[in-house]
Amino acid sequence: MLSMINRVLDWIRSLFWKEEMELTLVGLQNSGKTTFVNVIASGQFTEDMIPTVGFNMRKITKGNLWDIGGQPRFRSMWERYCRGVNAIVFMVDAADEDKLEASRNELMQLLDKPNLEAIPVLVLGNKRDLPGSLDERQLIERMNLAEIQNREICCYSISCKEKENIDITLQWLIQHSKTPR
Amino acid sequence: ALLFLHPIIVNLNMDSKADMKREKKDEESGGNPYAKLDVTAVLQECRAFNETPINARKCSIILTKLFHLVQQGDNIGRTEATEAFFGVTKLWQSKDATLRRLVYLAVKVLSTISDDVIIVTSSLTKDMTGKEDAYRAPAIRALCLITDAAMLQTIERYMKQAIVDRNPAVSSAALVSSIHLMKKAGDVVRRWANEVQEAASAEGHMVQLHALALLYQIRSNDRLAVNKLVQKFAKGGMRSPFALCYLIRIAKQLIEEDDQADSAFFQFIDSCLRHKSEMVVYEAASAIVSLPNTSPSELAPAISVLQLFCSSPKPALRFAAVRTLNKVSVKHPQAVTSCNVDLEKLITDSNRSIATLAITTLLKTGAESSVERLMKQISSFVSEISDEFKIVVVEAIRALIARYPRKHTVMLPFLANMLRNDGGFEYKREIVDTLIAIVEENPDARLAGLAQLCEFIEDCEHPALATKVLHLLGREAPKTANPHAYIRFVYNRVILETTQVRAAAVSALAKIGAQCPQLRPSIEGLLKNCLLDSEDEVRDRATFYLSVLDMAPAIVNSLVLDTLQSSPAALERAAAEYVENEEAHSNKFDLKSVPVCSAPVAKKAKTLLAEEVAPAKEKKTAANATAAAAERLSQIEGLTAGLGPLFKSTLPIPLTDNVNEYTVQCSKHIFANHVILEFEVKNTLNDQLLEQVNVSLEDAEGEWKALRQRPIARLPYGEPSSIFVLLPFPQSGAVQGVLGATLNFKVKDVDPSTGEPESDDTYDDSYVLEEVELCVSDSVQPLGKASFGPAWNALEEEDTVEETFSLANVSSIHEAIKKVCGLLGLAPCERSDIVPEGRNRHVVMMSGVFRGGHEVLAKANVAIDPNDNSIGLNLLIRCSESIIAEILATAIV
Repeated sequence: MLSMINRVLDWIRSLFWKEEMELTLVGLQNSGKTTFVNVIASGQFTEDMIPTVGFNMRKITKGNLWDIGGQPRFRSMWERYCRGVNAIVFMVDAADEDKLEASRNELMQLLDKPNLEAIPVLVLGNKRDLPGSLDERQLIERMNLAEIQNREICCYSISCKEKENIDITLQWLIQHSKTPR
Repeated sequence: ALLFLHPIIVNLNMDSKADMKREKKDEESGGNPYAKLDVTAVLQECRAFNETPINARKCSIILTKLFHLVQQGDNIGRTEATEAFFGVTKLWQSKDATLRRLVYLAVKVLSTISDDVIIVTSSLTKDMTGKEDAYRAPAIRALCLITDAAMLQTIERYMKQAIVDRNPAVSSAALVSSIHLMKKAGDVVRRWANEVQEAASAEGHMVQLHALALLYQIRSNDRLAVNKLVQKFAKGGMRSPFALCYLIRIAKQLIEEDDQADSAFFQFIDSCLRHKSEMVVYEAASAIVSLPNTSPSELAPAISVLQLFCSSPKPALRFAAVRTLNKVSVKHPQAVTSCNVDLEKLITDSNRSIATLAITTLLKTGAESSVERLMKQISSFVSEISDEFKIVVVEAIRALIARYPRKHTVMLPFLANMLRNDGGFEYKREIVDTLIAIVEENPDARLAGLAQLCEFIEDCEHPALATKVLHLLGREAPKTANPHAYIRFVYNRVILETTQVRAAAVSALAKIGAQCPQLRPSIEGLLKNCLLDSEDEVRDRATFYLSVLDMAPAIVNSLVLDTLQSSPAALERAAAEYVENEEAHSNKFDLKSVPVCSAPVAKKAKTLLAEEVAPAKEKKTAANATAAAAERLSQIEGLTAGLGPLFKSTLPIPLTDNVNEYTVQCSKHIFANHVILEFEVKNTLNDQLLEQVNVSLEDAEGEWKALRQRPIARLPYGEPSSIFVLLPFPQSGAVQGVLGATLNFKVKDVDPSTGEPESDDTYDDSYVLEEVELCVSDSVQPLGKASFGPAWNALEEEDTVEETFSLANVSSIHEAIKKVCGLLGLAPCERSDIVPEGRNRHVVMMSGVFRGGHEVLAKANVAIDPNDNSIGLNLLIRCSESIIAEILATAIV
């Protein structure tokens, strides 16, 4: 059964990388952005990632996936990489209560930028495998996502470690690609 | 970078279909397709970086344009540069190798003018550790440039790996980048010493050199470690000729810095003379010949190696050898004589640079009889060589005339000929300086030399040289039998030239008039004509000289012939102070209160006898030390209050060895009645912080007592700071003294890496310095007089102090004169310090100003006893204050 699920996930992954899209991945440090990229790229989960100093770039068939560092000094540069993309993925560590407020502020600040108007946003609550982590509903509430107007916004609770809900995340991303369907 | 860009430039040209048309256009604009780029337009084009997919070719061309603009110094605003930089980061998605390498360049070029360049850290780290070898080295270089000390920690692991990488390009890039990083984060790089050590024994020749250079940098603060480094590698292990050359340079420096250096270093350099690589052999030979205090036997093998190179088929080797021999010939003419035969062969070398150097070397070492022949040789091709080598020729001629004054009959026409031919300013100036030196120092050549110079200024395109010659004419023409012959040349300038030359000509006329009473009426007539000149400066000078020339001889002397006694900057400062200080207005402005210093022009003029190999460091003269010190002292609050203007500052004298824990040097700042001793202290221990640093002075005679002192509150490692001690001159009138000095301070141990104290504990310590000596010459400012006789006579009614001494420890009259001038602090006048050869008796005239503005004149009669070579000195000193004359006489013991 498990192998069956894995095979389905592999198939969706391969579909995702064939899309034509520009995608940017932001969020506070240690929320799991680079880990997420690795999981959707190779299916491998690695703990103990070194912090991203700057950005990582992954090629999609037509387009790129930009994974930008989450340390405070890089946050002012997020906007530059979000301009004109098909979707912004905002990663949140759902198990770290202390950082939720900072995370919310950064997201709101980012979405206030006139350059980024109407770009769809996918908020991912990562680390749902950890005890005490928030689910979608709690996350929407704590992150004030309901208040966001004039753009498509979606929120999933995922686990890169357990590869939970990675499939629906990828499906959402494929739907927002440039490729006509 | 430009080499790298070249193919793209070529491509651009090939693009054009109408090749012919394009070429024509290129020729008009100097062949540079980027000549008319516009910053705004190029920055607009940079938007293409954000497009997907990337057009690699287009982006490469845009980047090239951008580099060209930055290279040309075009100003790109920070916002625009940052915008362009973030565009560049998008280019990482392209796999095009050329574009990627341009991206690395762009990161480096934009690193200083754009914000947030650290955003590419991760991408560069990935490339430096990636599979693509062509990316790794440039990525390392770009990464190290944008990294600061804090970020360096995160890439430290990769740097260590890169240093020992098997790919020599990667290893070299990491090593060279580390050398640059030493400035930003020396302590981090020092931690890589083991890896660097390993790289030093790597295969690659370049890698060895870079590793050695970095090892040296890492240890350069620690003499002992550098010694060990050289000892280790001198024994073997260095296969790279580049690294060996570097090692030779380090060894040479060690020998130069320390008289007691390990003799193994010299042995090592000497053994390199037998290395199989020519590069190493040459480096060793050139190191040996430039070392100080080498014995003839040590020198001989090096010279014979150079001699061998003289007949090498490779022009580069011949050039290197003859150029080095040329330099050596100044210091060791005897040693080079043995190469004369080989140098003779090079005279006809098809490479003119080699031929020139060969001939000029021979001119320095050869016999008097060969001069004519060599001059003939060189004149056959002097027009074919560059200005730089023409200057070498002129310098050689200058040295030659000093040795064989009688040869001026050959030299003068030759120089005159060179002067008439085309050449740049530097070259012309060198010739004019040489001619001026000949005229001043060789009375036999005066007439011929002046005639050549007069002809030169008739058609001279450089005003600076014309004014120089006019100044000389004003001084030298009156000494000739026919001064009036020169008036025409000088007056022609007044009619024909630019303002500055006309003004100089007016001054020259006045000087001739001042010294030749019989010509005065006609000169006054000419000066009257100048009153109608169109420029203020010329009219002012003419008016001034006209009213002064009829006054008493003493006034004419001081106003026309002597130059300004104070530096313009000091005069300006004193005048400004006078204007601001209302109380002072009851008294007249006293010119004597202005610190004196002789005109800089007189100082710079090299004499023919001046040693050509004088080290370049000597440029720091006492004159500009005073000006700088006055500025510095006045900024320290309350230090100089009530002392009056600064009279003189001496150059700093070290009171410790360079290699000690604390280095101290002392400069003396002399005021009318006080002296300030400045002790510049430097703490060379990185694990100590010194507090409350002060100096205690002790005078055995009990004459000198410190009035107040300004200690150093905190002295961290490596940052020099100064203690100031104020001493009044003793009531007794003494000016000399020897003071014992001790440095006292509290020590706090600190962490070497951060400089933070480890605890609040301190302990007292002291450090004995060498004695501080105050001497007569400190109170005297040397100031040459253009005409000594009248000034001497003007002080006739004053008492003349006369003393007779017998000088020990000097062996020649020239040396004795130098020593007397130095002890008295006076400047020789009218070039009377030049002793004609073969004389055993000579009179030197000296002048200067004693602190307080009293003029001091002295005549010293020096004689050498041919029987036992003992030197006798008879000294006559005159000053308006006889006590000062007596003080001066005490200078000589």
